[in-house]
Amino acid sequence: MVNSDGQLFTIEGISAGLIMLLTAYIVVNTTSIYTPGDTHISDMQLEQLGSDALRLMNTPNTSATSAESSLQKIIINNDTAQFSNTFLWFCNSTTSGTNDNLQFTADLYYRDKNTNSVNKIHLTQTRNLIGGEHPVRVTEWVHLNSNGQVPVNNREQAVLVEVLLWRD
Amino acid sequence: MARLNDDAQWIVLMGFIVSFALFFLAIVVNQSTVVGQTTAEGVIEFPKNDIIDVRNEILFSSGIVNPTNLTDVKNDISSIGLARKMAIISFNATPAPPGSSYKNVILIHYNNGVTAYNETANY
Amino acid sequence: MLDDQGNLSIDFLAGMTIFMIALIWISTMVPGLLITLQGKTIDYDAVAYRTGAILVEDPGWPASPPWDNLNDLQKGDIQRFGLSITKDTPNVLSLHKINRFFCSTAFSYPSDYQSRLIFSNFQYLFNISLSTFDRTINESLGDVKPDGYGHIRRYIKIKYPSNTTILAPNYLNSGVSGGLSDNTTTHVFSVQLNCTQLIWDETNVAYQINPLTEQIMVNISNLNNACIFNPCPPNLISLSSIKIYRQNPSQPFGQVREYLSSDPQFNVYIDGSNTPLPALDPPSVNVNNNVSVIFSPGFFFGMASDSSQMYVNYTFTLANPDNFFNNTFTTPYHYDYNPVRVTQPLLKEGVLEVAVW
Repeated sequence: MVNSDGQLFTIEGISAGLIMLLTAYIVVNTTSIYTPGDTHISDMQLEQLGSDALRLMNTPNTSATSAESSLQKIIINNDTAQFSNTFLWFCNSTTSGTNDNLQFTADLYYRDKNTNSVNKIHLTQTRNLIGGEHPVRVTEWVHLNSNGQVPVNNREQAVLVEVLLWRD
Repeated sequence: MARLNDDAQWIVLMGFIVSFALFFLAIVVNQSTVVGQTTAEGVIEFPKNDIIDVRNEILFSSGIVNPTNLTDVKNDISSIGLARKMAIISFNATPAPPGSSYKNVILIHYNNGVTAYNETANY
Repeated sequence: MLDDQGNLSIDFLAGMTIFMIALIWISTMVPGLLITLQGKTIDYDAVAYRTGAILVEDPGWPASPPWDNLNDLQKGDIQRFGLSITKDTPNVLSLHKINRFFCSTAFSYPSDYQSRLIFSNFQYLFNISLSTFDRTINESLGDVKPDGYGHIRRYIKIKYPSNTTILAPNYLNSGVSGGLSDNTTTHVFSVQLNCTQLIWDETNVAYQINPLTEQIMVNISNLNNACIFNPCPPNLISLSSIKIYRQNPSQPFGQVREYLSSDPQFNVYIDGSNTPLPALDPPSVNVNNNVSVIFSPGFFFGMASDSSQMYVNYTFTLANPDNFFNNTFTTPYHYDYNPVRVTQPLLKEGVLEVAVW
């Protein structure tokens, strides 16, 4: 026969266990600290950096009426080495101390007028993006005039340069 | 009935005080990280650079004289914008009224589902 | 029977449960109570981001006339620092705004900057540095960075203002209206700034020459090769006046300014001197080779508008009559978008870093 002595102790034990679990849950819930990675701060900084670098590359240094920006020249001449040099130069420079070390992969998107589809041309990259790395995406609209070797249709067009940017 | 054992009450009390202090401290720290997180997320969510960029391209494109080229560029911007930026982008330029100090009045529309941006630019 | 010491009583258990429920209830309300407490540790990066955005994408306030035209005594009128030229040119910064911003005699760190740039109840400290890629500009302000600061890096272009160099021997009046009649002792040379044309011919302000808000620099060189007997005999040439005339659609043509003494916004440099000419009163000043005039940003703002034509007239007096540097019988020298005449505004890449703690 089951002994009914000590029932209260059993109830106490269960209640105490529940209270301890609840307390542990609350404590863990409120004290979990976000690491800087969780807060997306480095993403914000990278995104701003990449956007600035592309914007600079798309701004000619002298009067806009005649000069082409370095990004326009790169696309027209398909000079991917130049893209790599200029982009890394822009986004690794600092005011003092050692330069940064960023990785990127860049693509060019354009619209084919005949099929009305958006196609991609791979420009260049520093290395492949591997699993677990977390890139940010930055883009820049580039205006191409019809007199250059424009990717397709040889016409005046707007194309989009898209860069995935990440830190080692 | 179990008797309350009243030995070492001070130790238990101190334990409670320390744990509550930690608890409140944890809440404060928690709040401050949320400030950093919401700011960074807000910055990334809001397509500031996209809008500045497409606005520049639109203002430049508004000066295209040839109507075929203008239509082409308009289609480029809306097709690529929809495909790559997940945003509806369109613009329409009309010549400025005579005597104005600018050439065109440009209506810019941008909407990526979260942020809508409309502007009437004089350029 | 087992020893039951050390067990909790049911009264205590009930009381503790009620207390825990109340604690949970209250703890959910605590964040609301703490909202006035600033969680500043992790928002350093956010403040740095905001500061960087204000500096790079905002022209500051007041915008017209721009804040950089205010002198040190008027700095109370500056509401917000911003280095970009206009709001339509993010990332393109004005050289003069940069020089004013980093001027340590005009603004004191950190108080002047905190109220005009950082904007916070909490007194953040900061370090802002800016340099061009070629390191011709290398500015910084603020303290040494401690550990654990928030930062942002922005890439920028700096707009260098235009200038012109006039080679005097190319503008002799000999033969223009009949040789010897021009063989006089007084010669006038005129430089024209057509504000209408300058402002409306180039609509992109990143490349615009805007006399109302930017520095204008006119160098006249090789004056001693501008005589019939080349080179000119010593002590022949003297500068007797530099006068500024204005022509507006609504106002009559007339003189608005004359260089009498050195002025913070209007300076004349003779023969490559580093110090401005202190005075140009009736006794004229001897010139060997060149005359440079620098109009600081904002000099023309009060006297001209976008419909004005401004003329800078130089009067040279010679000890003996000669054919000399003179364009009174031809057209004035145009300060315009012709790159042969005028060195056009140039953009240079640079980097701006903001650290906040």
